[in-house]
Amino acid sequence: MPNLAPMVDVIMVLLVFFILGASLQIAREGVLRTELDPRSGPGEGAAVEIIASVKIALQDLDNGRACRILVMGRPLERGTPDELRRYMQERRAAGADPLNPVVITAERSVRWRHVVAAMDAAKSAGFDNVQFAVSLGRAAAPR
Amino acid sequence: MFRPPRPVSMTLNLAAMVDVMMCLIIFFLLASRLASAQYRGVDLPQAASAHEIERSEIGAKVVINVRPAADGVLDAEYVVQGWDGRRATERVLAADAVADYLHAKASQAVEHGETLSCVIRADRDVPYAGVETVLRGCGLARISRIVLSAQPDEPGGESSR
Repeated sequence: MPNLAPMVDVIMVLLVFFILGASLQIAREGVLRTELDPRSGPGEGAAVEIIASVKIALQDLDNGRACRILVMGRPLERGTPDELRRYMQERRAAGADPLNPVVITAERSVRWRHVVAAMDAAKSAGFDNVQFAVSLGRAAAPR
Repeated sequence: MFRPPRPVSMTLNLAAMVDVMMCLIIFFLLASRLASAQYRGVDLPQAASAHEIERSEIGAKVVINVRPAADGVLDAEYVVQGWDGRRATERVLAADAVADYLHAKASQAVEHGETLSCVIRADRDVPYAGVETVLRGCGLARISRIVLSAQPDEPGGESSR
């Protein structure tokens, strides 16, 4: 007859570990860093002119369900983040400096995921300096 | 008649020690995960270029969680977590309170001689206007380092939703 007591001990500890570990479901979380232009502010946030090497504008389509991507004012054909990434990679291949600022302007109702996708496209193409244009209006009023 | 003492057996009882060690390891593993658990009410967007970092790499930081507004009228709601000395607290801020909150945090950081970073954990379905409020607040509070949270893409994971 094996000694059951220590085995039960160990099994219970393992059980507790796996139950808790599974129920926690720690989502992996990564970060994208950006900087606001230090020349803006203090106080009212002075308007600064950032000479962007690439300007990306996001227009809302269909109230948040989709968005159109404009680069330097011209819409991309299909408007997918992949297409934007290819475009940015071409620019890098053509000799664009990775520190050149890329400025993303988004309409108010564009969903955040589209904004992050655009930023992601620029970052993965090698542009490190991605910034956001922020309108100077006071705190957002209810729509 | 004198007899030398019987030599004491010096073997370590390993089984018991391993038991205790395992319990401790499990305890600390779970505790550290729990301690680092973030606010879970937001569904982060995915980004392939997001990289996981240690929290200490960011340094002094203020975390703003942006979640879609429950009533759908406002752009977003802002959740901040704190510590009141005894337990973790969670506060929902209105859009116009965000700038003041950031300002207070920024001046605290200046007193301590720290450079503050603002971590924005925004839900993927929040309209940009909701995040813009935080960015504008950072600009007004002179916080220039912005850290955006995203899920690193996993190959084979859900790619679009």
